[in-house]
Amino acid sequence: MRILLIDDDEDLRNLLSRYIRSQWSDAEIEAYDPLERDLPEATFALGSYDVVVLDYMLGRGDGLEWLKVLKQRTDCPKILFLTGAGNEIIAVRAMKAGADDYQRKQELTREKLIASIRELTANPVERTVSPDLAARLEGHNLGAKVRIPGIKVLHLIGEGGTARVYLASRENDDEPLVVKILRQEIVLNQKALERFMEEYSLVERIQSRHVARIYGHGNYQSHAYLVMEFFEGGDLNKRLGGKAVAPSEALKFFRELMFALGDIHEKGILHRDLKPQNLMFRQDGSLAIVDFGIAKNIAAADRTGAGEVLGTPRYMSPEQVQGRALDLRTDIYSAGVLLYQMLTGRHMFDGETAMEVAMHHLNTEPPPLPAGLADYERLMEKLVEKDREARFRNADEVIGFLSRKFEQDLPARPFDKTQKLN
Amino acid sequence: MNESDYKVTVAKDLADLIPVFMRNRRKEVETLRVALAAADFEQLRQLGHRMKGVGNSYGFAHVSTLGKYIEDGARSGDRASLQAWIAEYDEYLAKVQIAYE
Repeated sequence: MRILLIDDDEDLRNLLSRYIRSQWSDAEIEAYDPLERDLPEATFALGSYDVVVLDYMLGRGDGLEWLKVLKQRTDCPKILFLTGAGNEIIAVRAMKAGADDYQRKQELTREKLIASIRELTANPVERTVSPDLAARLEGHNLGAKVRIPGIKVLHLIGEGGTARVYLASRENDDEPLVVKILRQEIVLNQKALERFMEEYSLVERIQSRHVARIYGHGNYQSHAYLVMEFFEGGDLNKRLGGKAVAPSEALKFFRELMFALGDIHEKGILHRDLKPQNLMFRQDGSLAIVDFGIAKNIAAADRTGAGEVLGTPRYMSPEQVQGRALDLRTDIYSAGVLLYQMLTGRHMFDGETAMEVAMHHLNTEPPPLPAGLADYERLMEKLVEKDREARFRNADEVIGFLSRKFEQDLPARPFDKTQKLN
Repeated sequence: MNESDYKVTVAKDLADLIPVFMRNRRKEVETLRVALAAADFEQLRQLGHRMKGVGNSYGFAHVSTLGKYIEDGARSGDRASLQAWIAEYDEYLAKVQIAYE
């Protein structure tokens, strides 16, 4: 394995070299300092490398320009482009310029770097690739194939149970977007397909700052897709990183979530699957709900079969576990479980199996908050009451409670609730 | 700053890289000071940006945080804030405790 590492920072070059050698001890790595050397000339043996790792800021050069020049060469190997966090437009431009993968530099871990290089150097016809890698390669191929009017699908960035997620961009202005392509096995399931398509119609109706913006949906050949807003700030799961956040920050996120619930409930929609992965942050720090894959119109006939339980066990309300008819209070409960996690850094309930965790929501009293968080005890109790009759009835009640009890800790709402996005 | 901000955990196999990393950070403080004295905000912005990128990568989250503040301060030309952040960076480097796991 031969790797060319182009970065103006000595410490980054050292670190990435070490990561690579920890996986491929015999790797030959050329550390290329753009502060000392110009863009590789035509005589430079670029084709002798398997992968080029190229930073987007090169001190006295622009990584994107270098990328374009290198990619014009017929002997150019795969290029992994390093971008800044929260600046996805650079990633969009890099992918359009021919980068084969990108990683956010500030979030680049040993594991991510190795996975990326492994993917770039994998031979798809080899029989030895792992099932995970084979699935990723299949995802890349699908992304390259799908055609959506006005949208360029650029790169596979995630895989969920029902859909693959791609970085995409609007062709006319490079605006970063997300395209979700439903998995084929789900498309064959008529009910799941209906749920996916309902996500579009539900979210389009909401038009709130607190809900992910949807830009289109449809089918390409037999692939159902959804085009939506890209969130530079990542999700709450990433923000928490397995730890608690400061109580004032937890309260701020929680209140934003309440505004979001207020907006969707006002339209008669329950989310039913609140979890950290479904709460996304924009670059300005505002929060929005995504993934309405199992959301459902309160007034619609319940398509959920008898005894079928949807949602994520860690955040399920007791009535959801029981498969009972749901109302706004199910989302209030799940939001309470999320608040507990934000305040303590722990899950409210743990267990060996999903069923065990779900049953705790039904039968086990929530663990008390640590002593330093006593101020939040009453709020928590009213959010996660097992008896929904004793719970807050709706998001407005919660917001009123927060305003009375924690007024000094809360910023003004950044956006008027009545103000809608065009 | 909290006491915990001064504690950093680094993977054992990176231990031999840390002396160079720390030496470069100390040099960075001096370069920041010179850039501030010359009111070279573009260089301050670039240095802040580099700190932001390299700090987290090595597990020094506070270096990244200070890098962001310095980058933002350079963009707005806020000399007083920049001076304070550079002083904090210097103090941080003097006090940081590194554990290897």
